[in-house]
Amino acid sequence: MEDEYNVAEGEPVGVVAAHSIGEPGTQMVLRSFHSAGIASVITTTGLPRIIEIVDGRKKPKFPMMIVRLESGYSKNYEKVKEVWKKIEEVKISAVLERFEENLKTGVMLLYPNKEKMERYGITPGVISKRLAKMEGIDASLDGDAIKVKVKEEDTKSIRTRFVKIRASIVAGVKGIMKVVVQQEDSGEFYLTTSGSNIEGIMEIDGVDKESIYSNDIFEVMRVYGIEAARILIATELKNTIEEEGITVSFRHLNLVADAMTHTGVIKSVGRHGIAGEKNSVFARAAYEETVKHFTNASIFGEEDMLTGVAENILIGKQIGVGTGKVRLAVKKQDLKKIMK
Amino acid sequence: MQAESVDRIKFTTLSPESIKRMSVAKLIVADTYNEDGYPIDGGAIDQRLGVIDPGLKCKTCGGRAKSCPGHFGHIELVRPVIHPEFAKTIYLLLQSTCEKCYRILMSEEHIAEIRPMIKSFVEGEGINTEDSAALIIKEGDRRGPAMKKLKTVKKCPHCGTPQRKIKLERPTFFYIEGNRIRPDEIKDWLSKITNDDLELLGMDPTATRPEWLILNVLLVPPVNVRPSITLESGERSEDDLTHKLVDIMRSNQKLSQDIDAGAPQIIIDDLWELLQYQITTYFNNETPGVPVARHRSTKPLKTLAQRLKGKEGRLRYNLSGKRVNFSARTVISCDAMLTINQVGVPMKIAETLTIPIYATHWNMELVKDYLKRTEYPIVLNVISKEGVRKRVTETNREELLKAIQPGYILERQLIDGDLALFNRQPTLHRLSLMAHSVKVLPGKTLRLNTSVAAPYNADFDGDEMNLHLPQSIEAQAEARYLMQPKDQMLSPRDGKPTMFIEEDEIAGLYMLVNENSRFTKYDASRILCAVGINELPKQGKDGMYAGRDIFSMILPKDLDFNHGTGNRKVTIKDGKLIEGILGVDVVGGSGGALLREIFHKYGADFTESFLKSMCTMSLIAAYRHGITISIKDYYETEAMSREKNRIIKDAEDKANAIVERYREKKLEALPGYSRKETLELELRVQLDIARSVAAKFLENSLTPENNAYLMAVIKARGNILNFVQTSMLLGQQAVRGRRPSRGYNGRILPFFKRNDMRPEAKGFIKSSYLEGLTPVELYLHAMGSRDSAMTKSLITAVSGYLQRRLINAMQDFYADGQGAVKDAGGALIETLYGGDGMDPMMEQIAAKKKRN
Repeated sequence: MEDEYNVAEGEPVGVVAAHSIGEPGTQMVLRSFHSAGIASVITTTGLPRIIEIVDGRKKPKFPMMIVRLESGYSKNYEKVKEVWKKIEEVKISAVLERFEENLKTGVMLLYPNKEKMERYGITPGVISKRLAKMEGIDASLDGDAIKVKVKEEDTKSIRTRFVKIRASIVAGVKGIMKVVVQQEDSGEFYLTTSGSNIEGIMEIDGVDKESIYSNDIFEVMRVYGIEAARILIATELKNTIEEEGITVSFRHLNLVADAMTHTGVIKSVGRHGIAGEKNSVFARAAYEETVKHFTNASIFGEEDMLTGVAENILIGKQIGVGTGKVRLAVKKQDLKKIMK
Repeated sequence: MQAESVDRIKFTTLSPESIKRMSVAKLIVADTYNEDGYPIDGGAIDQRLGVIDPGLKCKTCGGRAKSCPGHFGHIELVRPVIHPEFAKTIYLLLQSTCEKCYRILMSEEHIAEIRPMIKSFVEGEGINTEDSAALIIKEGDRRGPAMKKLKTVKKCPHCGTPQRKIKLERPTFFYIEGNRIRPDEIKDWLSKITNDDLELLGMDPTATRPEWLILNVLLVPPVNVRPSITLESGERSEDDLTHKLVDIMRSNQKLSQDIDAGAPQIIIDDLWELLQYQITTYFNNETPGVPVARHRSTKPLKTLAQRLKGKEGRLRYNLSGKRVNFSARTVISCDAMLTINQVGVPMKIAETLTIPIYATHWNMELVKDYLKRTEYPIVLNVISKEGVRKRVTETNREELLKAIQPGYILERQLIDGDLALFNRQPTLHRLSLMAHSVKVLPGKTLRLNTSVAAPYNADFDGDEMNLHLPQSIEAQAEARYLMQPKDQMLSPRDGKPTMFIEEDEIAGLYMLVNENSRFTKYDASRILCAVGINELPKQGKDGMYAGRDIFSMILPKDLDFNHGTGNRKVTIKDGKLIEGILGVDVVGGSGGALLREIFHKYGADFTESFLKSMCTMSLIAAYRHGITISIKDYYETEAMSREKNRIIKDAEDKANAIVERYREKKLEALPGYSRKETLELELRVQLDIARSVAAKFLENSLTPENNAYLMAVIKARGNILNFVQTSMLLGQQAVRGRRPSRGYNGRILPFFKRNDMRPEAKGFIKSSYLEGLTPVELYLHAMGSRDSAMTKSLITAVSGYLQRRLINAMQDFYADGQGAVKDAGGALIETLYGGDGMDPMMEQIAAKKKRN
């Protein structure tokens, strides 16, 4: 690498990164949803998405996955459809024509709709088998209907149980609410899902397990580890910003991602994360929750070593980054020369 | 005068003994001044606590208002009171210690297990979270889980006493199984907890003994901290803190009297509670669960916590940001005769602001000459070696001339070439503060080149900007070498140019370099002379000069440059513009490839002058050619109105067809949407198309003879959409990203029928600005405008906070000598910045070099 392109020693890269993301923030849209084209999955975009990432929220508002398929599947639409049926979550209520419930005896009759069942490739037998596996439930076929008996006794818990049963899943992967088939220019099909469940998707045949993409940062961290989460934070930031037609160097976004993950866990930017866990009492107090930080500091006998930027500005000393990092030393003999 | 440098600051709590040791006076009188207007001894503004009135002497140190720093006093409380900010800590301590033997509710074995970990944690080594016992103290939070667990312990592992449940009723009342524990009892309890046990809880007993959190003695800050002000009427007005202190003393006194008089317990408890209230609000007047203490005017009192907290608090308002001298602020305006590196400063400002000249052995002559001056750049002040600042007047000039010697500092007026920091708020990035070279000008505004307005995000509709003069040599050097606009030409965000030519200049440049442009000798000379070139390019056969040849005169002779393809192709060979038009992608805001190239190859100074020359030339070309728009440019032609009707009819037909399909239930719902949502989606897409169809039509039918269209095409100003809206139709209005939908039952305005499905009932506007809008259309348009105005004001608040958070999180990061990123504590954030250690400013240039 040539020297002229390298960062200068002491360059406050953090502040530059913060500027580079914050300054174009005013140009971004505040609207949170957006669907690229009509038939697509809803995702959060613009400033709300940036805030969502940077805040380190446990679950994105609109989790989303991109699922690519193995070579045997990806070009055959019929097979793609098969996979689709296997992943899209189907709740019992979605395939019902009507139902009858008796809150006294704890018996419920479910009447499935044939058309709807066909669409998802389910039979009443599948449903009753699924239900029978659940704890405290007797399920059997009763003519057209599925007869469900629960063992709860008081009306209130019977009712809540019934509601739960109807909301339970009979087919597909839990959490995958909607699947959209999309086609690449090369003719390959891939699936975009709303809802994210990496572990669930991995168990489906035909899915290319090595190229699963999810926008759920915490899930990615749980399944693939912190480095994957770090890359995801940077990519998601980059994609969100670029969608607004703004260019920001990946260096800045990487730095944010690294700042959030370098301890091995995802820390949010802000009061509960990086800024709130700083070593310096003054830096924390000058940011937010001033009184809390001062009172706690006295109980724990904390010492502020005055190394950061905020605390040095506070007490009126030179800051330790940029040109403030440079210290000059003069040799004694030179000093004598100058003094003469 | 250099104060001794602070190394570190330790936070502790004051013990009653140290409060008494600090105190110079015990305050006993719940009042301020006596009838003669003198401070009462032992009152809230006792003269032993320092003085603020000129003329009075401090009774402790004998200093006057200016020299006395103030001294602390104290109030002795007859009954102990809980410090409200520590109530939670006290609560946790009570919960985790035994009510009988006051030991920590943790078995000896457990203690032995945990002690070494606490030790290593407190010493800052962190703990191994894999360790089972370590789970008791979570990293980053020294006490949370440890204490949470202890409160569930039912029986003391040391003495076997069963533990009763303790409750904290906000803010400061403690109950054990429903019975109130009084502060004096709590104090006894807390004082019996051993230091060893406190350490186990993560506390530092040398910094804070828990019984100190219950106040027997209240420290009173010096009067300098709470000065009283004299109003114009001669009436004195006391600081909020003084008011509160008087209240505290009054409650304290009353409590004391009643105790002495042997009043019943209920009355004493009431007064005690009142004292607790006064002290609670003295510390924090926003304590949840406590009524706010107010002035007689119902304005809430600003007590200690309020002084520190928030944006207007001490930390953010006075310490993180400070007021400065040597600064100016006024309205800005543009000046095409300045370079991007200059700032035009009004004479009045230049005469007032000063720059120091440090007198040394080597510059005595210059210094004396300066001091002798009586006209414009004169010396305003002389600062002696002792730091005494004297204003130079006619009468003392001779005297000062004699006194002057090395070590003196002269403050002279601002002159051309001085460096000044120029800033516009909001200061969103580092380019919002740059060091310009001063050019003193007549007039009363600060002036800057239009090209440098972009990084500041400034315009000239009344914007104001600030000017700061760096005083020390170090600050001046830093400004000179790091902060000048010419060195900031590339954005640290993405490496693209931040300063470029815009609007008129783009239009002028088009006039200058398009392939048909020819200039007479007279015009060519004018253009070239204006940029200081005294020769003409090669004459054409017709005796005219080609615009491109004229422009090429300012290009470096060894410049080769290729950019773009097709009709956007630009070729420069050996410093000659061969083909192409220099548009926004070459020298403007969208890319500025040529500027980047020149900046990298020829450096900051050349780019500065190149930009200036290019501006000047293109503006003269624009003057000579003349370019203007008129309403005529927007007149609707026959063809346009035909097309417009066709577009509207088409849109309506298609929309009706979709509605029809919906009504007949033939419209298939898109996956994940209801049928109604699908209808809305399809209609929106269909109606939005109308505008782009119109734009396409205009692009095909208009010619560059139409100046408004020409300017849109070369991206000087305006775009095709403006044209469409002015001459053809406004199109679909949007509220919250959708068609307007709210208002009356089933309709937006009462002028429509219920459930009207026509496009115009949902914000589709058929009129153009030129025709004028119908009242209904105007209303719908205003709905859209209001929505975007509101969104805009909201987004500034949201993104402003995001920026503050990001900066606070990352402000300590810096790149070390090896390109690694570290924070203030020395933690490694990145091993190599961006993976290659490259400066993002240089990113584009490096990428281009790689391609070639």
